[in-house]
Amino acid sequence: MADNDAPIRATDNDAAIARLSAVQKGYLVDPYIATLVPRAHLQQPRPPLINIGTYLRSRGIDDLLDAWFRLAGGRKVQIVSLGAGSDTRFWRLASGTHAEQLHKYIELDFAENTSRKAMSIRKSKVLSAALGSPDAVSVGGGGTTLRSPVYNLLPVDLRTPPVVSLEPLLASGDEPLLSPSLPTLLLFECVLAYMAPSASNALVQWFVDYFGSPGSSGLLGAVVYEMFKLGDAFGRVMLNNLKSRGVSLPGAEAYPDIASLSRRFLDLGFTAAQALTLREIRSRYVGPQELRRLSRLEMLDEVEELELVLDHYCHFVGRSDVWGLVTKDQVGSGDDDGDGFGP
Amino acid sequence: MPSDLDSQIEQLIQCNPISEEQVKRLCIKAREILIEESNVQVVDAPVTICGDIHGQFFDLMELFKIGGTCPETNYIFIGAALPSPTCLVPMNDPGDFVDRGFYSVETFLLLLALKVRYPDRITLIRGNHESRQITQVYGFYDECQRKYGSSNVWRWCCEVFDYLALGAIVDGRVFCVHGGLSPALQAIDQIRTIDRKQEVPHDGAMCDLLWSDPDDITGWGLSPRGAGFLFGADITKTFAHHNAIDLIARAHQLAMEGYKLMFDQTIVTVWSAPNYCYRCGNVASILELDEHLVQEYKVFQHAPSDVRSVPLKRPPADYFL
Repeated sequence: MADNDAPIRATDNDAAIARLSAVQKGYLVDPYIATLVPRAHLQQPRPPLINIGTYLRSRGIDDLLDAWFRLAGGRKVQIVSLGAGSDTRFWRLASGTHAEQLHKYIELDFAENTSRKAMSIRKSKVLSAALGSPDAVSVGGGGTTLRSPVYNLLPVDLRTPPVVSLEPLLASGDEPLLSPSLPTLLLFECVLAYMAPSASNALVQWFVDYFGSPGSSGLLGAVVYEMFKLGDAFGRVMLNNLKSRGVSLPGAEAYPDIASLSRRFLDLGFTAAQALTLREIRSRYVGPQELRRLSRLEMLDEVEELELVLDHYCHFVGRSDVWGLVTKDQVGSGDDDGDGFGP
Repeated sequence: MPSDLDSQIEQLIQCNPISEEQVKRLCIKAREILIEESNVQVVDAPVTICGDIHGQFFDLMELFKIGGTCPETNYIFIGAALPSPTCLVPMNDPGDFVDRGFYSVETFLLLLALKVRYPDRITLIRGNHESRQITQVYGFYDECQRKYGSSNVWRWCCEVFDYLALGAIVDGRVFCVHGGLSPALQAIDQIRTIDRKQEVPHDGAMCDLLWSDPDDITGWGLSPRGAGFLFGADITKTFAHHNAIDLIARAHQLAMEGYKLMFDQTIVTVWSAPNYCYRCGNVASILELDEHLVQEYKVFQHAPSDVRSVPLKRPPADYFL
């Protein structure tokens, strides 16, 4: 079983190296990623197309999170990052303007990935410092678990039934790690695509139920980034190419278009859902000045191929506000940061 | 030389590079032939027009299967023989740039050898990738270094690039160019006055011919590529009318169906790299013009993967995972 999952776990390495490349080439600013990539100084940069896509992926999620913090008003919020891998988002948030608003930041992933990350965090002064006083930080579970007042890194196989996997980790005891009474955002960055729809539906449903019960905050959001539309010629080639490295995408094959992605979350009890492709984000939400800056970083002359690739990845945002705490048009409308990038 | 050259062609058809000394002599000979060609080569129909190949050597072999071999078939290549920058993906291990199925050296040298062997049966038109700047930043330079251990082959090839024609005109009715039109040019005759024997400039008529794209706009627009222009149906039709041509055949842009006719069939994009970068899933095509200039688009798929002799260490294409 573990061996079969190795190719999926390895996709995290792709993502981290892509991010490192985009940082080294000046697309993104992230002082933390190099500490999470083995032999970072020896990594070769990725092609311009991958750097641009990585930039759009990252910027898109950043802005959706900004919108989420604003939506929550001044309240404390929790973020659960599922299949977090070597994501650096916690450290970027902890050094940013929303740091005070962050009540918990919980990362879940395969034990192999969490133990590697816990080790990297312990070895890095920069990463450790953001967790607070060393006395309040503990490593457990044979090195697979790292707990601190805000940041928590926990091993779990997200495909196992949530009642036996998530519930004991997040919802047990009088003061569960994940408070049901605070606005909470779920972050799925390239994770649902790797799961069978039945397993990922059960996962999302568990959170919907947890935050939908009386006495809960009733405000649950989800940000999803993944590949989709794999039924066309490009998608079939992608499935084939990934198959040759042992990766299959049962979750992406089940949701062939934008409408089916939204419908899925609405069916699971979300009240609003919206999706944008990376191509749409690039053409509609990145301002002309920023586009000029990007075009100066590296030459990329093949716009058709770029748009073809970007058209097969999307950002999706959904929320479930069962208790009507917010009005329906708040998420996604808050493009007031002046850079023309939303939602 | 011909018998020598024939054996070199045989060798290149097997996807085996020829020796550095042979490359040097081939490039010198090619320059002697190309220097005699005009900026806009005059070509007689019937002829088969091919778009971008981008170093997909085994797919070029598929193309010859579909279109016939040279010299039996008269060819115009209006596309870039070299790989696109986005295709070249370095390995994670430092210094280990794996050849991801790209054979730009073999592709370009084969076309060049055919040109020298059958100068009247194959016309090579310069694409935007045939430039020092692009090849140096992205890939072809590295590939030459890797295969020959020095930059000599790259340097000789670049000198050949500077002599490649900028366009061709078939029976006075079909204008072939890699990219498209230029606001600095109203007449095909104006192209003949360009001094083409130079690196592709960053702007001006020569640059535009290699870089521009047709687009659903009116007039001229800024190109997202950072060089050349976008041009609309009005520009295209006016150019066709003034120059008494039926069709502009160009390459330069991926066409998922292998070709794309636009603007009431006054312009066509021909794309000859199937499953481009082993990622795009597109089919490719060539355009056959018979003796009456009747157009037939022959669509073809990528070569079966088992013919690629070098096993790929990793899947060929890159994704966001």
